[in-house]
Amino acid sequence: MQEIKENLINHIKANFPDATEKEFDGNRLDFNVDKQCIPSILTYLKDRLGYIHLSHIACVDWLEEGEFEIIFIVWSPEEKMKVFIRTRIDRDKPVMPNIDMIWRQANTYERELREMFGVEFIGLEAPDEFLLEDWDGPPPMRRDFDTEAYADDTFWHRPGREDALDVREEIIRRSREEIPDFAKKYSR
Amino acid sequence: MINDKNSQKIVDIIQNWSRKHSIWVLAYGTGCGAIEIPPTMTSRYDAERLGVRGAATPRQADVLLITGYLTTKTLKRVIRVYEQMQDPKYVIGFGSCTINGGMYYDSYNTIKVLDKYLPVDVYINGCMPRPEAVLAGFGKLQQLIAEGKANGATKYKENLEWYKGNQKKIIPNWVMPEYNW
Repeated sequence: MQEIKENLINHIKANFPDATEKEFDGNRLDFNVDKQCIPSILTYLKDRLGYIHLSHIACVDWLEEGEFEIIFIVWSPEEKMKVFIRTRIDRDKPVMPNIDMIWRQANTYERELREMFGVEFIGLEAPDEFLLEDWDGPPPMRRDFDTEAYADDTFWHRPGREDALDVREEIIRRSREEIPDFAKKYSR
Repeated sequence: MINDKNSQKIVDIIQNWSRKHSIWVLAYGTGCGAIEIPPTMTSRYDAERLGVRGAATPRQADVLLITGYLTTKTLKRVIRVYEQMQDPKYVIGFGSCTINGGMYYDSYNTIKVLDKYLPVDVYINGCMPRPEAVLAGFGKLQQLIAEGKANGATKYKENLEWYKGNQKKIIPNWVMPEYNW
């Protein structure tokens, strides 16, 4: 496993000098790259190194740092190894290069990220909406989107949930049971 | 129809009795509650002994079972399905999501109170309701039908504007046909 990792790091470093790697236990390896390198590094991994399977494209909202982190996870069935390609983009203007010419199925993930985080993929061929119909609010998976306030504005609530009693306390009061120490931190 | 009032009453009783014993349910799983329907229908609980069985299309069905949360997207389809069903038709709200939102009370795309949008005859609470609870719900519906109190469809017809207003409030781009009775 270690040989495969070192070999991979050497290959990536030789072609993409800016990439910084991070090693993990087991069959996982992370690379941080610039967003312009994304199509070329993924093509290189797919065509030369046998990472033919795109597992996932994920997005992490780093609200405090004003950035989105886009993560591409690829898998090699021969080397049994997964590689995470991470990149940071600006949160105010989230623009990413499109990779659905490398893997056709990336289209689905990119449409999801476009709707849920508002990340724009240049030249994405998907004019219609994917999951949200008639949505006019902000992208709902962003951390500064207040779901509860939005739900209060948009939908009716049946009265009766406001008190939100802690069921555990009520059970303890009735049965006079002691809370174990480890459970106290979960209590409200 | 029969003009005599007493004869009409007898006809109603016979009608309700026969309706009560052949409740055909539309197999349209909207939420996670649909997983409780197979055990209810199959040999262990065997809902068919009560006359409850699945129907293939909305036009053949009597009961629309809303099994769990409804997103605004599914609500569109459910309204469409409900309006295609023929009288007599009943709605059963299944699980706490249809009653007050359940665990999705703060979700951005699920409705919380089903009876603002569709007339609900019977609610079955629980998350999820076990097949025993589902059968109890069907029993309650049969009782209401026999008493002639399961009149959700009449309520929908009479208050159509109110229901339509509520529906259009959360479905702004209304591209479905307008039904009017």
